[in-house]
Amino acid sequence: MGGITFQFQYLLMSLLGVGVGIIFGALPGMTATMAIAIFLPLTYAYDLNTSLYLLLGLYVGGISGGLIPAILVNIPGTPSSICTGFDGHPMAMRGEGERALKIGITASFIGGMVSLVFLWFFTPPLAKFAINFGAVEKFLIILFAMTIIAALSKGDMLMGIFSGFVGVLISLMGNFAYNGMNRMIPTSGILKLRMRNGFSLLPVMIGLFALMQIFQEAETGMKENDFKTNLDTQTRKFKFSDLKGQGINFIRSAIIGTFVGVLPGVGGSAASLLSYSQAKNFSKHPEELGKGSVEGLVASECANNGLTGGALIPLLSLGIPGDSTTAVLVGAFLLQGVTVGPLFISQNPILWKSILLGLFIANIFMFLLMFYPIKWISKVINLPKGRLYPVIILLCVVGSYSANNGNMFDVWSMILFGFGFYILNKFGMTTAPFLIGFILGKNLEEYFIDAIQGSGGSLGIFFSSTIGNVIWVLIAASIFYSVWDATKESRKARKAAKAAK
Amino acid sequence: MFHIDFKFSQAHLIVPRIIGWVLAILLVAILVRRIIRCIKTKEPFFNKDFRLLVKGWDKVRLIGYLVLLCLYPLAMQAIHFLPASIIFMFLFNVIFNGVEQVKGFVEGIKTKEGWSNPGFRSIIISLIVSVVSSVLIWLIFGTLFKITLP
Repeated sequence: MGGITFQFQYLLMSLLGVGVGIIFGALPGMTATMAIAIFLPLTYAYDLNTSLYLLLGLYVGGISGGLIPAILVNIPGTPSSICTGFDGHPMAMRGEGERALKIGITASFIGGMVSLVFLWFFTPPLAKFAINFGAVEKFLIILFAMTIIAALSKGDMLMGIFSGFVGVLISLMGNFAYNGMNRMIPTSGILKLRMRNGFSLLPVMIGLFALMQIFQEAETGMKENDFKTNLDTQTRKFKFSDLKGQGINFIRSAIIGTFVGVLPGVGGSAASLLSYSQAKNFSKHPEELGKGSVEGLVASECANNGLTGGALIPLLSLGIPGDSTTAVLVGAFLLQGVTVGPLFISQNPILWKSILLGLFIANIFMFLLMFYPIKWISKVINLPKGRLYPVIILLCVVGSYSANNGNMFDVWSMILFGFGFYILNKFGMTTAPFLIGFILGKNLEEYFIDAIQGSGGSLGIFFSSTIGNVIWVLIAASIFYSVWDATKESRKARKAAKAAK
Repeated sequence: MFHIDFKFSQAHLIVPRIIGWVLAILLVAILVRRIIRCIKTKEPFFNKDFRLLVKGWDKVRLIGYLVLLCLYPLAMQAIHFLPASIIFMFLFNVIFNGVEQVKGFVEGIKTKEGWSNPGFRSIIISLIVSVVSSVLIWLIFGTLFKITLP
């Protein structure tokens, strides 16, 4: 790792990030995305290198912490741990909670490390390939990312795409640098001045991922957790030999996690589910999965941490965030004036190495922080949310206010987006496609204008290159897949409803 | 149809208009899909069971959170960051942990139960949390990291 001047401060930030991330991941309702969004303002005081250690620590810690409540009380702390409880909780029920946690932590560590290797090897060639992209290809890649987000995330494809384009439209509010004209903002008054640059990214992110979550909790009464987690009396202790025979499962699950991470917007829950179902398909004893099998636990935890490196591949090579957490990371880069995309690695070689090293150290800290003191760490799931949320609100306000060096308009934007999306969410609007549309919207416009300006207004330019046409095929394929999948699912649901009658 | 009349002075409206059209088409598609589904399953267009808020939603916590959230920035502008934060952190703590603790607090004082009364205890903890968190954040962000605070 030549070129990096390593500082003690980096280790400290990584440790802080992992520790806080584990707490956020372990508390049901709080996520790694929330942790990163809230802690972004702290990075103003540091350079990007130092900030990255903190943010990557939060990312790895946040994803890993979710296994604690999944295993001990069968409630996934984060959506990524959805399958962890299938086998982890039955193990905890028969007095093997500590063993299950340690198996999960080891699997998370291996998954994170394998995905780091993929990130290291695959990002530079993909970025090199993407350097040749012109405005047309860049425009189409963003369009592809937006359709695939909606198509592959299980749910309502049309609403997903709709949310993404609403995000694009909102990102376009304000001044258009190309001709200096304003659009979609008031033409006079104080708001004309305040909204000249549209809505800032940070307040929007904080509103969506922190305030909105608190609105949802407040609606349901903010019930405090009172989980009984007795790890003092254990019937079977963990031994590394418990993982004997899991080599292929480790590699397969980590690769699945990494691959799912590469696909924009799919998310950790899909990685965990896909890996778990594959483990069941390849298992010699599939009947044991779901009853406390090491195989199932390894598959879920290895895949969701495999996602961490995978989601960074499209981000650092194409500038497209792989999930909502990496979308928030884009915010960190933008706040420090660094643009992620095909030129990122060649223009910022030291930063690139910092990311790899930061992820490596975060995984090691995650293992050390969780593996040995797991008995104490597991107690965080009972932290009172009623005491934590006020502090989070305070951090949100400070973060939004400082986004543009002290602007109360940003605090109001945060409240507007937090409350607005809390309501819109009830009508099916989804946050991840919205945020990705919001982040990529300005680039989408820039590439579109560049392309049609070069062609004299002809839209035929978008069908003129081979790479562009391949991306069109991928866009069509993602839409067809989504329609096919939705039809299959609704048929299944109708059949099930008929059978129930 | 496959040509856009590109004028420099109007360039800022090209993409927003296209996105507007895309959104309108998507909205129509969503409505058409809903109509088809309603015809197939014979369910009404507007779902009678739809509830904006969950049954038995917590009025005090939800409305209290929204109101305090809107008043907090105004208070910061009026009385500055630290005093406003201490007051609002306390109020958020009281609302999120149950307003009934206020009654308990008064009872605790009247009966001289003090700390052994849960309401009294909760209010004191709320007070400590609000003062400590506000002062710590003010010190760390404002003084140590020199980040602009309201």
